[in-house]
Amino acid sequence: MTLGLSISNVSKTFSPAGREPVHALRDVSIEVALGEFVVLLGPSGCGKSTLLFMVAGLESTTGGAIAFDGLEVRAPGPERSLIFQEASLFPWLTVRENVGFGLSIRRVPPGERARRVDELLRRVGLAGAGDRHPSELSGGMRQRAALARALAMDPEVLLMDEPFAALDIQTRARMQDHLLEMWSSTRASVLLVTHSVEEALALADRIVVFTARPGRIKAEIPITAPRPRDPYAPEMVELAKHCSMLLREEVEKSFKEQELL
Amino acid sequence: MAISDTGSRRMRRAAPRIPFGGWPEAGRATGRAAISAGWWCASLGLLVGFWELAWAVGWANPILLPPPHIFLADLTDQFRYFDPTGGRAGAMGEGGSVWSVLGVVGWTTMRVTVGLVLGFVLSLFVGVAIRYFDVVGKLTLPLVTILAPISPVAWIPVAVFLFGIGNAPAIFLVFVAIFFVMTLSTLTQIDQVPKEYIQLARTVGASKRQIYRHVILPAILPGLFVTLRMNLFAAWMVVLIAEAVGVGSGLGQVTMMARNTFNASLVFFTMTLIGLTGFLFDKAFGLIQRKVLWWVGPSNVGGL
Ligand SMILES: Nc1ncnc2c1ncn2[C@@H]1O[C@H](COP(=O)(O)OP(=O)(O)OP(=O)(O)O)[C@@H](O)[C@H]1O
Ligand SMILES: [Mg+2]
Repeated sequence: MTLGLSISNVSKTFSPAGREPVHALRDVSIEVALGEFVVLLGPSGCGKSTLLFMVAGLESTTGGAIAFDGLEVRAPGPERSLIFQEASLFPWLTVRENVGFGLSIRRVPPGERARRVDELLRRVGLAGAGDRHPSELSGGMRQRAALARALAMDPEVLLMDEPFAALDIQTRARMQDHLLEMWSSTRASVLLVTHSVEEALALADRIVVFTARPGRIKAEIPITAPRPRDPYAPEMVELAKHCSMLLREEVEKSFKEQELL
Repeated sequence: MAISDTGSRRMRRAAPRIPFGGWPEAGRATGRAAISAGWWCASLGLLVGFWELAWAVGWANPILLPPPHIFLADLTDQFRYFDPTGGRAGAMGEGGSVWSVLGVVGWTTMRVTVGLVLGFVLSLFVGVAIRYFDVVGKLTLPLVTILAPISPVAWIPVAVFLFGIGNAPAIFLVFVAIFFVMTLSTLTQIDQVPKEYIQLARTVGASKRQIYRHVILPAILPGLFVTLRMNLFAAWMVVLIAEAVGVGSGLGQVTMMARNTFNASLVFFTMTLIGLTGFLFDKAFGLIQRKVLWWVGPSNVGGL
């Protein structure tokens, strides 16, 4: 039995009725150790979101197995929290109610719920915004509320699907720092999808580069430099060049494939 | 009706463009309201002006098309046609005061309101049941789809067979006028709930019941209210028809009686009442919508 998240030989083929089956992923194996920060990098359409949804238990695999702490993943569970690209907070709930949503579904008593939600809001820097509605928040604040909601479940692995893609560059950098802070204080594992090489380099313990569809693992790049990292340090620049090259090859491949279609 | 509403929205938006310079912050809202009211008066004044002009030059026969200053002149005389007891056919006796007029308006409004509330609640219930229970869906959906296009007018005989005369058939007709449309709208709304909302609820372990209760219901309510509001005027038309043919009281009955007795003044007075009541009804509805179901955002609320 291995602790942490173990994705072994996972494949996924979508078979939409009346259309060609889509091979989204083929034979993907990734081990995420406890407390490890893994970033998935790959061209559009290579199955990164699909993989994250399968780990979350929202999609089934068509081959291979996903296990968490040795138990096979079949359904969503509180130890795996998913954060979407656009923070899909419920617009009819206040920030506080959104953050406490999972707790109230799990019937945590109101007193304890309020205490935990307040604590989380403070940690993500939204202490003053608890009674506002999502439409009154900036994009960055919304994403922090989503993070707080995910943390409310005390997850052991955070699954994040391009969480900062919709934010402007400055907010994005702040949110990355913020995420690292949260991560180091919880020591949960993180599996994060991004398109951005800079983001991957700023965050990851290990970058997993995917090929064009059907997605396979093209390369795994461990990064040992301590955080916060200077993106202009010579070894980081080297890594950035290397990642960009790997990614560009695959992006070109996927474009060629689309042209052939 | 949709057109007139768009018109009033445009007017409201146009208001700040009027070259008045800037109001002080506090007075701005009042100023805007005043300008909006001004446009309302201008719009109504246009109709009244043409009508009075037509009368003055002799185009409009004052017996058949009495202009406002005539049909509003003998108001108190008209009041006696309004029987506020609400239950009797062909009545013309108890009335005679402003209160009796308000009584009649009240009865009609009550019938619309009860019909709307029943229709809304039951269609929500049925719509959710169709999606929630597979068997209910398979059994009910074809029926709903077949019954939906039948005009409420065609239901009048059924209403009378089922309920005789009185309040019940009128309420039933209002109910029928919105029930099927609202049921289908409930289904559409459920199908359009963003799938992220549902996935999100599933990731925290929500059951199907919890997803319907905590996610789907709040997500569809604002859209349903918009549909309901679009069907308000249809409900008003139906209640008037029902009152005219089968109930024997209310604004519809007064209109019908006025027609039968060639009392043109009464016809136009009643039409004015109907217009005003419908307008106020819609405004009240919009207010509730904004207070209770604000989360669709102002661009969708009331955007008929
Ligand atoms: N429900 C589905 N039915 C059929 N095909 C699907 C379905 N979901 C995803 N796909 C296909 O599977 C492939 C992988 O999709 P996925 O969303 O995982 O890609 P991605 O790597 O997240 O891309 P992006 O970076 O653009 O978000 C795509 O080609 C997509 O069209
Ligand atoms: Mg994706």
